[in-house]
Amino acid sequence: MRLPEFIYHEPENLQEATNLISEFNGRYGIIAGGTDLMVKMKQRLQNSQYLISLDRIPALKTIKEKADNIIIGSMNTLDDIVNSEIIKEKLPCLKQAAWEVGSPLLRSVATIGGNICLNTRCRFYNQSYFWRSSRETCCKAGGHVCHVTNQEDACYSTFVADTVPALIAYDASIKLVGVDKTRKLSLADFYTGDGRMPNQILKGSNEILTEIEIPIPKDDIRSVYHKFRVRESIDFPLVGVAVMMKGIEEKHCQDARVVFTGVGSAPVEAKLAREKIIGQQLTPDLILEVATMAVSELHPVKTDLMSPNYKRGIAQVLVEKALRDVGGVNNGKDD
Amino acid sequence: MTDYKVVGKGLPRIDGPAKAMGKAIYTVDVNLPGMLYGKILRSPYPHARILNIDTTAAEQLPGVKFIMTGKDVGDVRYAFVDTPRYPADEHPLAIDKVCYIGDEVAAVAAVSETVAEKALSLIKVEYEILPGVFTVEEAMKPDAPLIHEELLEGTSAWEDWGVAQKKQQREAEINVNNMSGHSAISFGDVEQGFKDSDYVREDKFELKATAHCQMEPHAAVASYDPVEDKLHMWLSTQGIFLKRFLLSKTFKMPIGKIRIHHTFVGGAFGGKIDLFPYEFCAAYMSMKLGQPVKIELEREEVFMATRQRHPMVIKVKTGIKKDGTILAQDIKVIADNGGYRGSGPIVVFLCHGFSFPIYNVPNYRYEGFSIYTNSGIRGPQRGHGAPQIRFSIDSHLDLIARDLGMDSVDIMLKNIRHQGDLLPNGDRLNSCGLKECLEGAAKSIDWENKRMQFKAQPQEGRYKTGVGISLCAMFSGAMYYPFASAAIVKMHDDGTATLFTGAQDIGQGSYTTLSQVLAEELGIGLEDVHLVAGDTELCPIDIGSFLSGTALVTGSAVKLAAADAKRQLLECAVEVLGVDDIGELETQDKRIFVKDDPEKSISFTQAIQTSVFKKGGNPIIGTGSYKGYSETDRYPSLAKCKGLFTGAYGFAAHAAEVEVDILTGKVKLLKAVTYHDCGFSLNKTIVEGQVHGCVSMGAGQAISEEIVLEKGQLFNASFLNYQIPISLETPESVDQLVATYEPTGPFGAKEVGEGALAGILGAIGNAVHDAIGVRVYSLPITPEKVLRALKN
Amino acid sequence: MEKTINLTVNGETRSIAVDVNQTLLEVLREDLGLTGTKKGCNQGECGACTVLMDGKPVSSCLVLAVKADGKTVMTIEGVAKDGSLHPIQETFNQKGAIQCGFCTPGMILTTKNLLDKNPNPSLGEIKEAISGNICRCTGYVQIIEAITSLAKEKNARGGV
Repeated sequence: MRLPEFIYHEPENLQEATNLISEFNGRYGIIAGGTDLMVKMKQRLQNSQYLISLDRIPALKTIKEKADNIIIGSMNTLDDIVNSEIIKEKLPCLKQAAWEVGSPLLRSVATIGGNICLNTRCRFYNQSYFWRSSRETCCKAGGHVCHVTNQEDACYSTFVADTVPALIAYDASIKLVGVDKTRKLSLADFYTGDGRMPNQILKGSNEILTEIEIPIPKDDIRSVYHKFRVRESIDFPLVGVAVMMKGIEEKHCQDARVVFTGVGSAPVEAKLAREKIIGQQLTPDLILEVATMAVSELHPVKTDLMSPNYKRGIAQVLVEKALRDVGGVNNGKDD
Repeated sequence: MTDYKVVGKGLPRIDGPAKAMGKAIYTVDVNLPGMLYGKILRSPYPHARILNIDTTAAEQLPGVKFIMTGKDVGDVRYAFVDTPRYPADEHPLAIDKVCYIGDEVAAVAAVSETVAEKALSLIKVEYEILPGVFTVEEAMKPDAPLIHEELLEGTSAWEDWGVAQKKQQREAEINVNNMSGHSAISFGDVEQGFKDSDYVREDKFELKATAHCQMEPHAAVASYDPVEDKLHMWLSTQGIFLKRFLLSKTFKMPIGKIRIHHTFVGGAFGGKIDLFPYEFCAAYMSMKLGQPVKIELEREEVFMATRQRHPMVIKVKTGIKKDGTILAQDIKVIADNGGYRGSGPIVVFLCHGFSFPIYNVPNYRYEGFSIYTNSGIRGPQRGHGAPQIRFSIDSHLDLIARDLGMDSVDIMLKNIRHQGDLLPNGDRLNSCGLKECLEGAAKSIDWENKRMQFKAQPQEGRYKTGVGISLCAMFSGAMYYPFASAAIVKMHDDGTATLFTGAQDIGQGSYTTLSQVLAEELGIGLEDVHLVAGDTELCPIDIGSFLSGTALVTGSAVKLAAADAKRQLLECAVEVLGVDDIGELETQDKRIFVKDDPEKSISFTQAIQTSVFKKGGNPIIGTGSYKGYSETDRYPSLAKCKGLFTGAYGFAAHAAEVEVDILTGKVKLLKAVTYHDCGFSLNKTIVEGQVHGCVSMGAGQAISEEIVLEKGQLFNASFLNYQIPISLETPESVDQLVATYEPTGPFGAKEVGEGALAGILGAIGNAVHDAIGVRVYSLPITPEKVLRALKN
Repeated sequence: MEKTINLTVNGETRSIAVDVNQTLLEVLREDLGLTGTKKGCNQGECGACTVLMDGKPVSSCLVLAVKADGKTVMTIEGVAKDGSLHPIQETFNQKGAIQCGFCTPGMILTTKNLLDKNPNPSLGEIKEAISGNICRCTGYVQIIEAITSLAKEKNARGGV
C-alpha cells in the first residue's frame, strides 16, 4: 500500500517541535529515521494526521563527551553510532549492539532514538491492513482481544530493540523534552511493560527524546551484547542479551547487569541473577547457576515464529556465553 | 572435443549491460499514456460463500473508472491443468464462493494507485463463513467439507489440438474427499520384491510450502486498441505463447487478436507460468475502457495469492538385498495443492517422473494424490516435485545404509541408471553421467574422511559437522502447449544476423546461450547477433521457459534455423568459389572458405549479394523448428504415468557439508558440491550461475524457508519473516560439469537450472544426520526441529 | 499536501513538487522516470530500491521524498559515465553476477558505497555489506566473486 495522507512539519529547533506536539496533541506522529514508521504507515498501523520530522534539528545529531558522561543525540543514525570513535573506544557494547540492528541499508537511516522508542512487535500485529481484516482487531491495534493468548485487553507484543539492553547495562539515562518541562530519567524506567503502549512517549507523554546520557564506564567494567536470529542480517533479534560486569579482573564481581531483549514487552533485566553474582568469583558452576536463574525470570510468549520454550533455551545459551566472555572464563570448544 | 568458437565459453550475457545500467525495462517499468492503475480485492477468509457485493460507494469515489466482480465475468474458467479428466477450476473473480485467503473477489481500475486502494476499502462484501480444511489429512476424511462441491464438467482447451486424450471413465475405486488429482503406476511385483528382500524399511517425510521469491513482483499492463480490435499485453511471464493461448481461450478471442510484448522478467522460478486473475482483470478492464490498465501486485500478494511449492507428505518403503541391491520400492505421495487445482495432478505425476530415472528398481509401485485445502494455490516451482521426492527417497536410502552399516554412496552406485538404459515408460537415456556425478561429488566433499558415520570417535564440543549426498534428475522439456519451438535467423547485408525467438530470458541467460548457438552454427561472433525476443507478433512460437526445455528444444530450433541460413549462404558460394558441393565449404568470422584451400573465400556480404541477384531476390532467412519430444504426439497420461515424458534427462549429484550448533539447533551449510550432467555447457558462466542459484534456493528450502500457515492464514508474507538466504549464508560452492553428449540437444546440451536444486535438500538432510546422529524427517530443518530431534 | 524539494539527482540539480506522502522511490520512478530503481517489497526488506543518499545506501521505499530535500541522490542511471559502463557494472557482467537483473541496480550501488569507503574489503566485509540486498537468482556466489575481483583490481591500481 502507499502511504496514507498526512500533514508534514519539519521544525528547526526543539521549541518549535514541542509547540507542534502540544498543538497536535494525540493526532501526530514523530518521524526520526522512519524505517519502522514507514512500514507501519503503509500497513495502516499508524494513521496520524500530522507527521513531525526531527531531521532539521541539528542539536539532536551530536555525540560528545561531557564531564564523566557521553551524550548522544537521539537523531544519530545507527551508522553514526557504529562509526563514532568515542563510542568505539568507550562503549564497545553499544557499538556492537548498534551494528547488529537490521541490515546495513537500515542502519544508514535508522536512528538510536528510533531504536529506543521502537514499538513492540507481534505476529498478529505487524501485518498489513488486509491481513488483519481476517480477524477481530487486536488490542494493540485498537481492539480488545489478544490473538496470542485469547485474553481480553492484554497485550504481550514483544520488545525487540537491540541497543537498549546495552544502554541499560551501561546505566544510561535519557532526556525527554516536553513543551514546558524537561526531564531526565533512567532508560529502564522509560518502558511501561504494557504491550499496547510500551514506552512513555507511545503512551502519550507528548515529549521528544533528545539525548541519551551514558556514564563513561570505569576501566574495570566489561560488557558484551549477544544476539540470536536466524539470519545474521535483516532479522530482528529473537533473543538478545547484554551483560556487564564490574571488577571481575580482581576476582570478585562488584556489580553486574544482565538485560534481555526479545523476551517480554519491555527490556527485561535479570535482577535475581544480578544479586546472585555480586561479590562472587566467576566459575563455570556459578555461570550455569546465574544463567539458569536469569532465564527463570523470563516469560516469553509466542509473538513471533519461535516457541517460548525455544527462546528460553536460546536465552540460556546466550547468557552463559556472555557471562563467560565478560568474565574471561574459557570453555574451550563450546565457544 | 570439437574446437568451438562461441559455445562453451563463459561469455558475458548480452542483456547484462542494460540490466547493469538500469535500462532494462521490466513489466513494472512499463508506462503508457493515459494508463490506469488496477487493484484486486481479495477474500480475507479461507472458505466462505459470497452473499453480496456492494460497490456503490466505491463507484462514487472520484477517479474510479471501473469496478468488476465475478458477476460481470460469469463462468469463465481456466487453469494450468485443463484436461477432460481435470477441467479448469479457476475463475478470474470468485462468483459465489472463495476458497482461500487471497482469493480474488473484485477488481478496480482508477486514475492512481492511491484512488484504487481507497476504492477497494469502500467495496462491501458480505460473506457466510464456511468450515475450512487446512491439512491433507483433514481434507481427505470422509466427512470433510468439500471445497469444490460440484464436479466440474468441461472439455479441455487442448482437445482441438488433438493432444488431450478422450475423456475416460473415472476410476470408481478412488473415493477420496477433496481429491484434485491422482497418479498411479506399478511395474514388477512389489509384494514379491519385499518378500525376496533381506531388509525392508519404511519412512515418512514431510515438506512445507515454500515461496518462489522472484524479486520482481507479478505485474501486467493491458492496452486494448478498439480501432484494430487488438489486445496488447506486457506480462512478467515465462511463456508468452502459453499466456496468449490461455487469454484467447478465456476471452474467446481469436489468438491473432492478442499480442504480448517483450519485457524483461525479474525472476520466475516456475511461479509466472499460470494465467493469473490480475492479468485477466487488467485485460478485461482495458477492453471495457479502451485505456491501458496496469496491475502490479504487492509483495504480500505475491506470497499469498500467486503460487507456492506444494507441501507434501511422502512415504517410501524399500526392500533391499544385503549387497545393497534395491529389489522393491513403494512410494506414496500426498500433495496439498491449496484452494484450486493449480498443478496438483502434474506434481504428483512428476514425483514419479523424477523418482524413476535415478535408480533401477525392478519392482516398483507409485501412487500420488493431490488434495484441495483452503490455502494458497500451489503450482510449478523450480524442480516441480523433484525436491520433495528426491529429498524423501535419498533420505530414506541414507537411513537404510545406516541401518545396514553400509556406505550410502555404495548403495547409490549399485542401483543408479546408466547411459543407454531404457526407462519403463519408453524414454531412453541417451546421455547419463549419473555415475560420474556421484563419484565426483563424493570425492570433492572428501566423503571418506569427513563422513562421521564411519568414525569411531564422536565429535566433541558445541559445533558438529557432517556430510551427506543426494541425486536428482530433470526433464529437458516435455509435451506441453505449444509443444514446439521455432526460430528465425535473418541475415543482414553486413553478414550479421538477427535471431527471432519467442523464448523468454527470465534471468537464466537464454538470450545469450541461444545467440551463442546461432553464432557458432553460422560462423559469426556473438557480437554479430542481434536479438528480437519475447514478442508473440514478431517472434515464432516457443515452448516457453519452463519444464527446462529452452536449451534443448528452443536451442535445437535456433541451431536448425542457423543451419538453414548457412546452407543458403553456402549454396551461393559454391559457384563463386568454384567447388562442387557445399560440403567442401566452411564458415568463420562472417566468411565462407573452401575447407581444403582456405585462401579461397568470400564474405557473407558477397554471398548475400549473390543470393539477392541470382536467387530471386532472396536476402536469406533461415528457419528452424523442434518439438518437445519428437517421437510422440501426445502428452503423457498424468493419471497412469504412461507415455513418453521427455527427450533427455539432466542429472546431478549434490554433496553437502554442514555444521550444526547443538545448543541452538542452527544448521549452517559450509560447503555445497554439485556435479551435474547438462550434456554440454553452452556458456560456462551462465551454467555455473544456474547451479549456484539452485544450490542457494535448495539450501534455503532445506534449512530456513517455509510458508507458515495457521488455519489458512499466511504469517510470513514478507522478506523479513520468510527467510530466504542472504549473502552471509553463502557456502563454499563447488560446481563441476560432467560432460556427456546429448544427441538430441544443440551441441549436446540439455537441461540445467532446475534439477540442480533437487539434490541439495537430501544432501543437507543427510549431512545433518551425519553430524548429530539423529534424523529430522521434515523440511525445513529449523533450529527447533534439530533440538527436538536431539532431545528424543 | 505538496512541498517543493531541491535535490541533486545523478549530478543534476532538480526542483520538484512532491506530495509529502510520496516515498523517494515513488518520486524517482514515477515523477523522474528513473525506473532503474526497483520496487521489490516496498517495506525495506529486500534492497532492490537501494539508492545512494549523500553517498550512503538507503532503501528508497522507506525514505520520504521530503526527507531528501537538500540531499544528493545517486541512482543506477548515474553510475555509468558518458555511456560507458562503470568498472563495477562491467565486472558484474563479466563475472556472471547478473541474472534476472532486478536486484542488480541496488546491488551495484551498495557495492559502490562499499568500495568507495573501503577499497580493500575482506570476504566477510563484502558479505556483510550486501547483506541487506536480496538476490534469488545467483546464490550470491558470482556477486561476491565480482566484488572480490574489483577489490583486487583496485588494489593493483593503487585505488581508484
